[in-house]
Amino acid sequence: MRTGTRIALLVGWLLALAGLGLLVAHNLKVSTDLRSFMPAPSTPDQKLLMEQVGEGPGSRLLLVAIAGKPDEQLGALSRGLANGLRKDGAFTQVVNGDFDLGVLDDKLLPYRYLLSPTLDSESLDKDFLADQLDQRLDDLGSPAASLLKGLLPRDPTLEVLKLAERWTPAKSPEVRDGVWFSTQDEALLLVQTKAAGFDPGAQGQAIDRIRAVFNALPDSHGADLTLSGPGYFSVVVNAQTRGEADLIGKVSTAGFILLLLLAYRNVPSLVFAALPVATGALAGIAVMTLAFSEVHGITLAFGFTLLGVAQEYPIRLLSHRRAGETALESVRGLWPLLLTAIASACIAYLAFYASGVGGLKQLAVFTITGLLAAGFTTRYLLPYLLPARVRDVADTPGLGAFRRWLDALPRPRWLPIPVALAAVLMLWFAPGPFWQNNLAALTPLPQDLLMKDARLREALGAPDVRYLLVLQAHSADGVLALSEKIEPTIQGLIGKRALDTVELPSTYLPSLAVQRSRQAKLPDRGTLDAALSAALEGKPFRKDLFAPFVDDVETARTAPLLTPGAFAASPLGQRLAAMLMQRGDHWVGLATLGGVHDAAALDVLARETGGQARLLDLKEASESLVAEYRTRILHALLAATVLLVLTITFALRSARRAWHVLAPMTLATFMVLAVERVAGIPLSLFHLVALILAAGLGLHYALFFERDTGDPAEQRRTLHATVVCVISALLVFGMLGWSSIPVLRAIGLTVSLGVAFHFCLSILMAPHDASKK
Amino acid sequence: MLALTPLPSGTASAPDAATLVASLNRPAPARTAFAEARFMRVLDKPLVVSGELAWLGGDKLERRVDKPQRETATIADGQVTQQREGKKPRSFSLQRAPQLKVLLDSFVALLGGDASRLSESFDVQLTQPANHWTLTLTPKDTRIAKQIARIAIDGAGNEPRCMRMEESDGDVAVDLLGELATKMPAEPTREALAALCAGTP
Repeated sequence: MRTGTRIALLVGWLLALAGLGLLVAHNLKVSTDLRSFMPAPSTPDQKLLMEQVGEGPGSRLLLVAIAGKPDEQLGALSRGLANGLRKDGAFTQVVNGDFDLGVLDDKLLPYRYLLSPTLDSESLDKDFLADQLDQRLDDLGSPAASLLKGLLPRDPTLEVLKLAERWTPAKSPEVRDGVWFSTQDEALLLVQTKAAGFDPGAQGQAIDRIRAVFNALPDSHGADLTLSGPGYFSVVVNAQTRGEADLIGKVSTAGFILLLLLAYRNVPSLVFAALPVATGALAGIAVMTLAFSEVHGITLAFGFTLLGVAQEYPIRLLSHRRAGETALESVRGLWPLLLTAIASACIAYLAFYASGVGGLKQLAVFTITGLLAAGFTTRYLLPYLLPARVRDVADTPGLGAFRRWLDALPRPRWLPIPVALAAVLMLWFAPGPFWQNNLAALTPLPQDLLMKDARLREALGAPDVRYLLVLQAHSADGVLALSEKIEPTIQGLIGKRALDTVELPSTYLPSLAVQRSRQAKLPDRGTLDAALSAALEGKPFRKDLFAPFVDDVETARTAPLLTPGAFAASPLGQRLAAMLMQRGDHWVGLATLGGVHDAAALDVLARETGGQARLLDLKEASESLVAEYRTRILHALLAATVLLVLTITFALRSARRAWHVLAPMTLATFMVLAVERVAGIPLSLFHLVALILAAGLGLHYALFFERDTGDPAEQRRTLHATVVCVISALLVFGMLGWSSIPVLRAIGLTVSLGVAFHFCLSILMAPHDASKK
Repeated sequence: MLALTPLPSGTASAPDAATLVASLNRPAPARTAFAEARFMRVLDKPLVVSGELAWLGGDKLERRVDKPQRETATIADGQVTQQREGKKPRSFSLQRAPQLKVLLDSFVALLGGDASRLSESFDVQLTQPANHWTLTLTPKDTRIAKQIARIAIDGAGNEPRCMRMEESDGDVAVDLLGELATKMPAEPTREALAALCAGTP
C-alpha cells in the first residue's frame, strides 16, 4: 500500500476515534448507585430489601463520634455541630442527647395536643389543670425553673416535653454535659440524611457538609470527627474502588507497554497495535451510552479489565508475522482461528447479559461491542498500517529451546483422568461453605470500619440493620392505625426482652381516628377559660398569663387533622416519610427494631394481625436473592457452554479437534474452582464472572496450540504470542489479586490461576506433534 | 479578723476581693440553711421555698427543699438530678440550667476560698459600705450571661448572709443564708429583703 493511502487511513481511523470520543464525552452519564451491581429483586421482601439498602431510614443514618478533647469541650462541639446541621436542609434529623425543643415549628406547635397521648387519659378540665399548675409552681421553685418558665404561658401542661421524650430514641447513651457520650469518652450524634444511603455522590456531599460545619466550630482543631453508617461506607467503598482501580490500571499499563516493547522491539507496530483496543473501548462505551441512560462507574472499571482479552488480537497478528509476508497475508492465515476466538469470547460474555443484573448487562454490552470492534479492526484496518518489514519473532533467542523443552515434556493421554480426579477430590474435601451468600461480602468494607460501626451502633442504640417490621395496609392512615394496634404487643415483647427498642411510624404521627378522638376532647374557648380561671384560684400566677395556651387549644380544636403529607414539611415529617411508602395499591410502613434477641418471638405480631405486620429479615432476604441470582447465572453459563461447544465444533469441523480445545479449558476451569475451594474461599458471583473470563482466555490458548501447522517456526510464533498473552494477563490480573477490595481480589485471583492452568493444560493436552513422530 | 478591721467604703481592688474570698473557705462538707424568694414575671407574688444547701466537696452540690414540698436536687458531673417524694427522679444537663451552673461555680469557689476559680468564671467586684460587704459576680461566658445578669453576695466578716441572682429577663431569686434564713418574711418584697441582706434590721 502506498504511503499516502496509509496516512489517509490512519488519519481517517483517528478521526473516527475522535468522533466516538466526542459522542461519549457528550452522552456519558456515570452513576454511582451501588445497587445496580446487585441482583434484581423478585419477591416483595427482596424488593423491600433493595429499597431499604438504599433509601430506608436505617440506611440514611450516619453515626458521628467526636473525640480527643476534655468532656466539656466535646459537649460544646456536639451542640455546635448539631445546631449547624439542624439548619441544613440536607439532614432530616440530628440528635445528640440534647433536648431539642424546636422539633415542632410554630405552625405545628398547636398540634401537640393531637400528637401527645395526654388526652387519651385526661381532659383539660379544672382538676387536671389545677394539678398541672401546682406541679408548675413546684417546678418554678426548683432548679429547673429557668428551663421551664419560657414554655409556661403557651404550654402549662408541658406537652412539648412529653413529645420530646417520646421522640428521643428509647435506648440512649449516657448523657454528660448535656449530650450523649460513649463509654470511650466520645460525644455521639445520630444524623439522618435526606439523600439515599447508597448514593455515594449525595452521601459524599452530606459528609463534606458535616465536616465543614465541624471545622468551622471554634475549638474543633485537635478534636477527631469519626463517621460511620451505610452512607459513609458507600463513599469509602466508592473512593477506594476507584483509587485502587486507577492505580492498578496505571501500573499494569506501564508493565504491559514494557512487555510489548521487549517482545516485538518495534515502536510503530506497538503504537498501531493499540488502535484496535482503543477502538473497542470507545465503541463499547458509545454503544452503552446509547443503550442505557446511565453507565455505572464499576461497569467502566471492570469493562476495561475484561477488554484486556481484545489485546490478544493484535498481539497474535504481531507474533505471527514472518519475513517476506505482508501483514495482510499474515492476518488472512490467522483469521479463521481469530474469528472463532472472538465469537467464543462473545458467547462467554453473553452469560453476563443473561444474569439479569443491571450492571452486568451493561458490562456484557460494553465488552461484546468492544471485542467485536477490536477484532474486526484488527482484521480489516490494522494490517494496512503495520510496517512492511518486521523482525520474525520465531528467531527470539531462547524461544526455540523453550519450545523444544515443552515438546519433550511427557504428554500421557491419560493425563485428564488424574487431573479430573484431583479436582473432584479437592472439591469434595474443601473446607467451609461452597457459596458466598452474604451480600455484604460483595460490597467490601475493611474489618475495622465494621467493628467501629458495630461499636457506635451499640452505644447509640441505633436500629438493627438486619431486622425490620413491615406494616401493610390500604392507606397511609391504615398503616398508622395498624402501628398503633400492635404497639401494646411490641411493648410486651420489649418487656420480655425479645427485643430492646422499636420505632413505629405512629410514634411520630397518630392515625386520623386517634387524632380525631383527641381533638374531640379539647374544650371550646369558653369552657377552657372557665376551667382555667377556676384552676388558677388562689395561685400566684399572673392573670392572662396563659392566653397563648388558650389560643393554641382553640387552634388545635378547629385545625384540620395532620396527615403525613402536611407533616412532611417539618423535620419529623421527613422522618415519618422515610418510614411510609406507597407500593402500587397499598401502603407499606417500616418500623425499625433495635437489639432483636429472639426473632421467633416476633412472629406473634404476624399471627395477631393476620400477616399485615411481619418481621423482615434483611439478611435472609438478601441471601435468597443471591442464591436465586446464582442459579440464574449458572443456567446462563450452562447455555453459554452448550453454545460454545457447538461453535467450536462447527468452526473446527471435527469433534476430535474440538475435544482437544474444550477438554483442557474445562479441566482448567474446574482446577481453578478446586484450588480456590481448597484454600477455603467461598465462591461469590464475581468468582463465576472471573471464571468465564479465564475460560475465554484459555480457549484462545487451546485453539492456537491445537492448530497443528507442522512448521516449527510457526509453532514458535504461536508459543511467542501465547507467552506474551499469558504474561500480560498475569500482569493485569495478578495486580488485581493484590487489591484490598474483595471483588477485585476475587477476579484477579481467579483469572490469574485460570490463566496458569489453562496455559499448562492446553500445552500438555495439545495433540502430539506429528512432525516429531 | 476581717470583720474587726474597719474597712473603707467604696470599690475595693481585686486583691481585697481575693483576701475576702480566701477568708470564706470552709472544709467540705459545708452546709447552710437557706430561704429563697423568687420574684418572677410569670407570677403575681414571689415564690418562697426553704431548706438546706450543701457543698459535698469537689463539684458536688446539694439543694434540699423542705418547704413547701420536700425535694432534693443534686448537681454532680454536669448533671442535675431532681428527686421529689413519690416521683421518679428526673435529671437534665447542667448546660440547660445556667442558673445552676452559676450557682455551682460561685458556691464551690466561695466555700473553697478559691478566688482564682471565681475569677475564671466571673468578673468579681467588691464593695464594702459601712459594716458589710457585697461581692458582685458577672458571668464571663456570654452564653450564660444571656440568662444570668449577675449574682450579688452580701455578707459580714467571713459569713455570707445573702445571695441574689438576677436573671436577664428581670426575674430575681434572693436566698437568705444561715441564721438569716429564719427571718424570711411571709410575704417578702424586694425592698424588705434588700434591707435584711444589708444588715439593717
